[in-house]
Amino acid sequence: MNFSVVVSQFWPLLINGLALGFIYVLISLGYTMVYGVLRLINFANSEIFMVGTFATVIVSRNFFGFNQDTDPLSGFKLFFAMGACLVASMLVSGVTAVIVELVAYRRLRAKGTNRLASLISAIGVSIILQEGVRILTHSVPMSNPRLLRKFSVVTFGDVGIRVDTLLVIVFAAVLFFSVDRFVNKTLLGKAIRAVSMSEETSKLMGINLNRVISATFLIGGSMTGAAAFLYETVYENTKYNVGFSIGLAAFTAAVLGGIGNLRGAFYGGLSLGLLEQFAAAILGTQWKAVTVFLVLVMVLLFKPNGLFGEAVQQTRV
Amino acid sequence: MNKNSKRVLGAVAAVTLVLGTVAVTSAQAATKTVTLVYQGPLTGTDAQTGQDEFLGAQTAVQMYNDTNPAVKVKLIQADDQGDGAVAGTVAPGIAANKAVIGVVGPAYSGASIASFPSYKATRLTMVSPSATRVTLTDTKSPDNGYPFFHRVVGNDALQGPAVVRWSIDGVDSPKVYVIDDQTPYGTGLAQAAVAYIKLKKINQVGSDSVVQKTSDYSATVSKIKASKANVVIYTGYYPDGGALAKSLNDNGWNGVFAGGDGVLNDAFIDVAGKAAAEGAKFTAPAVPFETAASAAQQAAFTKATGLKTAAGHVYVTETFNATNVFISCIKLGKVTRAGIQSCVATGTFFALDGKTILKFTRQGEVVGGAPVGGFQVVKGIIKYFGAV
Repeated sequence: MNFSVVVSQFWPLLINGLALGFIYVLISLGYTMVYGVLRLINFANSEIFMVGTFATVIVSRNFFGFNQDTDPLSGFKLFFAMGACLVASMLVSGVTAVIVELVAYRRLRAKGTNRLASLISAIGVSIILQEGVRILTHSVPMSNPRLLRKFSVVTFGDVGIRVDTLLVIVFAAVLFFSVDRFVNKTLLGKAIRAVSMSEETSKLMGINLNRVISATFLIGGSMTGAAAFLYETVYENTKYNVGFSIGLAAFTAAVLGGIGNLRGAFYGGLSLGLLEQFAAAILGTQWKAVTVFLVLVMVLLFKPNGLFGEAVQQTRV
Repeated sequence: MNKNSKRVLGAVAAVTLVLGTVAVTSAQAATKTVTLVYQGPLTGTDAQTGQDEFLGAQTAVQMYNDTNPAVKVKLIQADDQGDGAVAGTVAPGIAANKAVIGVVGPAYSGASIASFPSYKATRLTMVSPSATRVTLTDTKSPDNGYPFFHRVVGNDALQGPAVVRWSIDGVDSPKVYVIDDQTPYGTGLAQAAVAYIKLKKINQVGSDSVVQKTSDYSATVSKIKASKANVVIYTGYYPDGGALAKSLNDNGWNGVFAGGDGVLNDAFIDVAGKAAAEGAKFTAPAVPFETAASAAQQAAFTKATGLKTAAGHVYVTETFNATNVFISCIKLGKVTRAGIQSCVATGTFFALDGKTILKFTRQGEVVGGAPVGGFQVVKGIIKYFGAV
C-alpha cells in the first residue's frame, strides 16, 4: 500500500477522479433512465457512447478538416468547433438510442414478451453496433485532433489542474442538474416519472407511452453522447470497443447508486470515479477492479437496491 | 485397315497414351502447391503489427514462386487479433487443414500459448517472427510449444535487459518506473526488465500493472509523478502505450518513455500525438528490412507488396526469415508436416542478409541468440539506432 502518493498527489487524484466520475454520471443516466421507464438494462448504451465518440472525431477530422498537426484553437473558433462536436455527438447518440428502441425493443414490448427477450435483444444490438463499427474502421483506433490547449488552470505546489478536466466537471454537472430539473419540473418530465412509477396507471391517465419512452431514450442517449464528447476532449482517442469498459463502469455506477434513480446515478458515478482513482493509487491499478466490485457487493449486501434505489421515489424517472 | 496399319495405329496410340500420361504427370508436378499460414493480428487494435509482418511473408513467398519451382507455395492468412481467446478458436481450423504444412507465427505470445494445443496435437511446425515470451520455449513451463514451436527472434530474457539499457542511456541518475499490461507478453517482459534492474542495482522507484484497454491512466500518472521517476518502461502494446504516453505528457511529465517491441509501431505516434511520442524509445529483437535487405530484395519487396519501402513497418525482416525457413525445407523436398518438422528442427538456414546463420536449439530458440535493436522517435519518425 502506498499512502504517500495520496499526500503528494491528492488534488490531481481528486480532480481526475471527479472528472472520470462525472463522465460515468452522464453515461449512467442512459442506463438508469431507460431502466426507470422500461425496467430494462439497455446494454446497447455502451455502444451509444461509442458512436458518440466517433461522431466527435468525424466532425473534427472530416467536417472541420483538423488533424494531428493542427494547432489548438482559441476564441470563437474554439467555441464553435467544440460546440459543433458536442451537438453532433449528442444528436448522433440520442437518435441512435431512439432507433435502437424502435427497432429492438418496441415490438417486443408490444407483443408482451418477457424481459429476457428484450435483454437478449439489447445484447444483440450492442454486438451489431460494435462489430459494424469495427468492420467500417478496420479495427483501427482513431485519434481526435486537439482542439483545446491543455494548460493548468489552478496550481497546488508543483501540481496543476488542467482546463479539460475542469471543463468536464463543470459542464457535466450543469447537464446533470438540467436533466434533474427537467425530469422534476416539466410536463414531459412528470410523464416520464409517472411511467416509471406505473405504466398501466399512466396509460389510464392519457399519457402517450411510446412518446414518453422515445423521449426517455433521446434524453438518456443525448447525455451519453455528451459524455462521449467530454471523453474525447480529455483522452482524444476512440476505437470500436471503447464503450465496453467505460459502459460497464457506468452501469456499475448506476447499480451502486440505485438503478432507476437519477440522483443515485449522480452519487454512484462520482463514488465510482473517486474509488477507482484512490484504489489504483494506494493499492495498485491491478487492484482497482477488485476494490470497486468488492465495494459494490458490500453495498448491495446491505442495500440491495443500491445507495438510493427505493429511498428517493420522487426523483425516480 | 490391314494388320500392319492396325499395328502402326496401336503403336501410335500407345505412344500417345504414354506421352500424354507423362505430360499430365509433368503438369501435375509443375503445379504442385503446398500451403503455409501466416498467423497474427490482422484485424483488431493490434492489426498494424500483423499487416506489417505479412509483408515479409509475402515477399519471401513471391521471391520463391518467381523462380518457377517444382513445388509452389500458397500463403494464406489466419487472423487471431493478437488475442489468446481468438487464437484458441482460430488454431483448430488451421490444424485441421491437411494442406497446411507450416505456420509462420503466431505473432504474439498469448496467441501462441492458446494455439499450442491444436498444433502440437496435429504435429504442425511453427516458426514465429515475434513471439518473445521466455516460457514459450521453456520445456519446464506448462505453456511451452516444444517441439513444434521455433522463433527467429531473441526472447524477452534478452529484450528485458536491452529495454532497460536503452531507456536509461544518456539519463543522469535514472529513476525507473515499470508498468505492464497484464498480458503474458507484458508481464514476461516486465519480469525480465525488473530482474536486470535488480542485477545492475538501478534505482527502480515504482511499478504498476494496468489492464489492456484502460481509458484513464491518470492514477498511474499521479503515482509516477509522486515517485519522481524520470524513466517509464511500459511493457504492453502500442494502443495502450500511446494512451499512457499522451496522459503523461498532458500532465506535464517530461521523462523518457520507453517500451518493448509491442509498442514499436508507427501507430503509437498517432495514438500518443506527436508531442508525447517525440523522444520515446523502443527495443525490438528486430532489424529493419530497409537496413538489412539488398537492392534485389528491396525490389522484390516492392513487387510483392506494392509498397516503395518497408520503412515504418515492423518485423518484416523477421517474418521474411521465418517464412524462408519453411521455404528452404520445401526446396529440399520436404512437403509433409513430418518432413518439415524434422527439417526445421535440425536444419541450418540463412537470414535476410545471406550470411547470418539461423539454426534452432532443441527448444526452438535461435542458437547464439538474436540481436536486440534500439529505436527512437525523432522528429515524428521512428529511427533505428542499431543493436543495444
